[in-house]
This record gives sequence, C-alpha cells and structure tokens, in this order.
Amino acid sequence: MKSAGYNPHQWRVGVLFSSSGFMAVIEETQLRGTLLAIDEINAAGGINGRDLVPVIYDPASESAAFGRYAKRLMVEDRVSTIFGCYTSSSRKAVLPVVERLNGLLWYPTLYEGFEFSPNVIYTGAAPNQNSVALCRYLMDHYGPRFYFVGSDYIYPRESNRIMHDLLRGNGGEVVGETYLSLRARQHDFLPVIRDIRRLQPDVIFSTVVGDSTTHLYRSYADAGFDPKTTPIASLTTTEAEIRAMGFDVGEGHVTAAPYFEGIDGPSNSSFVARYKKRYGADEPTNMCVEAAYFQVHIFAKALKQTNSTDTDLLRSMVLGSTFEAPQGRVTINAACSHADLWSRIGRANRRGQFDVVQESLSAVLADPYLTGYGSPAACQQG
Amino acid sequence: MTWRAAALPFEFSNLDIVVACERDDMGEALIRDLQRTRAGVRHVWPVPAHLPDDTDVIFCEFAPDLARRIPWVPGDAKAALVVILAREPSPDLDLLFHCAPDAVLHRPFTEQAAVTSLMLARAHFTYERRLRSRIGKLDETLRTIRCVERAKAILIARRNMREDEAYQFMRRQAMSRRVPIGSIASAIVDTEEMLG
Repeated sequence: MKSAGYNPHQWRVGVLFSSSGFMAVIEETQLRGTLLAIDEINAAGGINGRDLVPVIYDPASESAAFGRYAKRLMVEDRVSTIFGCYTSSSRKAVLPVVERLNGLLWYPTLYEGFEFSPNVIYTGAAPNQNSVALCRYLMDHYGPRFYFVGSDYIYPRESNRIMHDLLRGNGGEVVGETYLSLRARQHDFLPVIRDIRRLQPDVIFSTVVGDSTTHLYRSYADAGFDPKTTPIASLTTTEAEIRAMGFDVGEGHVTAAPYFEGIDGPSNSSFVARYKKRYGADEPTNMCVEAAYFQVHIFAKALKQTNSTDTDLLRSMVLGSTFEAPQGRVTINAACSHADLWSRIGRANRRGQFDVVQESLSAVLADPYLTGYGSPAACQQG
Repeated sequence: MTWRAAALPFEFSNLDIVVACERDDMGEALIRDLQRTRAGVRHVWPVPAHLPDDTDVIFCEFAPDLARRIPWVPGDAKAALVVILAREPSPDLDLLFHCAPDAVLHRPFTEQAAVTSLMLARAHFTYERRLRSRIGKLDETLRTIRCVERAKAILIARRNMREDEAYQFMRRQAMSRRVPIGSIASAIVDTEEMLG
C-alpha cells in the first residue's frame, strides 16, 4: 500500500501521547522527546531530502481514544508509522488497528512483557530488564517482605504477577497487595498507609502511575515513614513524577530504569543539554523521554535505507539495528522486536535526580516472555 | 439455477444482515437474493453516518469516506463487511483497504455472487474472530504457564505424582470448578507458600 501521505516532500508520521488528563505528566515528556528527535532530524536535512512531519493528536488519557486516533491516523492522515502510548491499555487499543492495517507502532514505555506483535517496536524495558535486578537489589538491601500497591489496570497487575513470581522464587514474600483507581486522590491512600503501618513491610513496591503517584509518595511522607529503611520502589516513578511530587518527598526512594538524567557519558550530556535548551533548564529528562527520543532516530536511520514507510520494508530494516542512545548503545533485538536496554537502579536525591546505585555491565537482552528466568533462583540470575 | 436455502452448505437463517445500497434493479435483486437464504435483511439508504454494529453482516456501497462511517476500529470489527463497488470509477485501493472488508461485490453482479460473497465474508470474519480468541488464550496461557510449572513441581514433590498425573490433576480440578487451570495452579502455589 502507498502510505507516504499527500505531500511528496514530506514523511508524515503519527504521534499519540496525552497532553491532558491524568497521564499527561509523563506522556507529555514522551511527546517532547519525540519532537526533539524530529527537529534534530529535520535540522540535519531530513531523510533523503524530505522532512519528517508529525501528525499529533491528544487522546487525553482515554484508552479507547488511542484506538480511534490510530484509525484516524492510518485511514484519514494516511500514515503508517505511529509513535505513541504509555499505558498498556492504550497500547492494546492501538494494537488491533496497526495489526489489521499493517502499521508500525513505536512504543517507548516499559511494560509487563508477554507480548510480541509484528506491528510493534518495543523500546521501553521488559520485566527482565528492570524487575529482575530491582527485586534482587531490594532483597539484598532492605529485606524480603514486600507490600504491593498499584493502579488498577493491566500493567500493575501483570507486573506484580511477575514480581510475585520473582520474590517467591527467592524466598521473599508479599505481605499485602492493593490496587487503586487511576484517578485515586490523596485520601484514597489512607488505607494503604494504615496497611503499611500495621504490616511493617521492608519494601513498598509501587506500580502506581499518573497523577496518583504524587498522592502515594506524599501520603507516605506525611505519615512519617523513612525511605532509608522502607523505601517505595518503582519501575515507573521517573524524574517527571519526582518533580511533580516535590524533591523532598521523593528523596531516598528507589526506581529501576534503563536511563536516568544523571548518568555519565557524552551522548547523554549533549542530549540533556539539547532537551533543556528547547524545553527549559528546569525540565528534567527521564527514561520515557529518552526512549521516545532514540526510537525516532532508529526509525529515521531505517527510513533512510528503505526510502519508504512501507511497514514490511521498515520493519525488516529496523530489526537488528543499533543506536548510540543517551543510555548507551541499544539494539532492536531481531528475535522479538524489543530493544536490548541497560538495567540501572537509581535512588532519588534532594535535587530530584537519581543517583545510580547499580548498573548492568552492558545492555541486557530483551526477554519479554522471561524464558531465561524460569528457575526458582530467578532473582539471582538477573 | 437458483440457490435453494436447504441446499446451501451454510446456515444463514440465523443471520441478521444490513444492506446499505441504492434500491435500483440490482439493489432490489441483492436484497431478494439475501432474503432467499432466510437471513433477516434490513435495508438502509443512504449510508448512515454510523453503520450499525449490532448486526452479523453488512453489505454497503463504497464511498471514499466509508471507513469513517464504520463504527469500530480496524482489527476489532463487530460484523462482517461486504463492500459493493460501482462499475465506474475503479476504487482507490488504499481507501478500500482501510475499510478492512471481508469480501467485495462488483457491480454488475449475479445472484450467485451475492450469496458467495455473503459466505466468504462470514467465513473470513468468524475465522479471524476465532484466531483472535485463540491468540488471547495463548497470551493468557503464556502468562500462567510459569505458575502451572511451579504448581506441577509442588504436586510431584508433595503428592508423589508423576508429571502427567500432576497436570491431569490440575486440569480435572479446573474443569470441575469451571475456572482456568492457572487459577488452580496459583491456588496450589499460594497454599504451599502459606504452609511453608
């Protein structure tokens, strides 16, 4: 199918991140990462002489709207490549559309794994690239008794199922598990705080996302708990959420991610400088910005070769390709179309940045189905 | 020859069909042919802004904005779709592709063509639905399989079962309780964890 769009001097691509609603804090940063990369590519002359032109819609944190906009992008705007989605529910809304019309969704967000669509390139961390190392680190440094708190949708439940599995295999235990609405307010966290006081876990493992992240961490701070002994550990709390909740509230808590703003390396420092130059000195980067950013560059590299946005051509060019991303060298794993990413553990400091307390020696191969982590000693293998 | 409903290898009498076409001679013939299969046939014209999603099969005249009038997203169709194409002009293939039809009917068409397109569209639609349901179940199985493996190991160690016995045990429990095998497996693992 032709899908180059109406203007032969442009490459049109779809962009779907929420700029409004309860997911805007993080999705807006992904939008920025995407646009920064597009600007850089165009400033360098575009791709084979043609500019990248984003067609942007705001699904306003509503999953079904992601599906409707994906249809609109492919059917009316005639794009075949879409950069977008944070929540798993929104990805699952876009999935049937790109699969039926043979589009390509670039998904720059960590997720629960156990998916492999030929129409998606996954550039966020799969569980073996964050959960495994985080589980081991937390057990070694804080203890084996975990309390799970999450937002009530697909990702937290599936992610907790995996963490449960990892913990169990390593002699840890889950002392409590609670899910709250994605729209939970601060008072909704009071029962969670009571639970934590009563059960005295060693670690609070949070898969709370969106605006309620702030409420969880604030409630915890207000209750007088000490992150030095009982931190909130998360796979989703980035520099953006820490900034929203306040640096003092976030200090001492732990996050596992492929990327933090504070990591060393020339590729990252120039990326951070360019980001701040465009969006302001106070705007932190985070793992979602970084993935949203580098995936556009990987796309551009492939497009330069194919000179066509035909999904079948692009996909085969993308698989196996590498890129010097701000986090380090990343590769799109040809076996599963997930990115091989770095695994890092960070502890938030008073400046709203993460101090890296542990990192992998190289990029960790993506293993979305956790096939290499089946034994009871799964936590040890990470 | 004419198709006789009793002789059809397919049972259409339970189907609800919506036909959105002009009632010219050919349109009338189409409606008549479809009615002859004993399916329920509803006619609408002009093509509504939103085609209905509470039907089994839709026959609809092609228009450049047809994809917009389809009330579902591609890949999540609620009914089989047969697009009726005019003799002239030849359609924009991209636009047709975006409607994700299960069959097409070119004007002018014969009586046989109407019924074969109904059969094809229905067969493709239900086949795709079965595949999607299978993929859904496979996804779920892959997620639970780790738990099932662990439960099996527990049964082998605790109850001295062989591997196949352990699996059959869980399967029987799941069937008699009408729950997925993953739930039985996770109950076994949880109990083991609790009892230590």
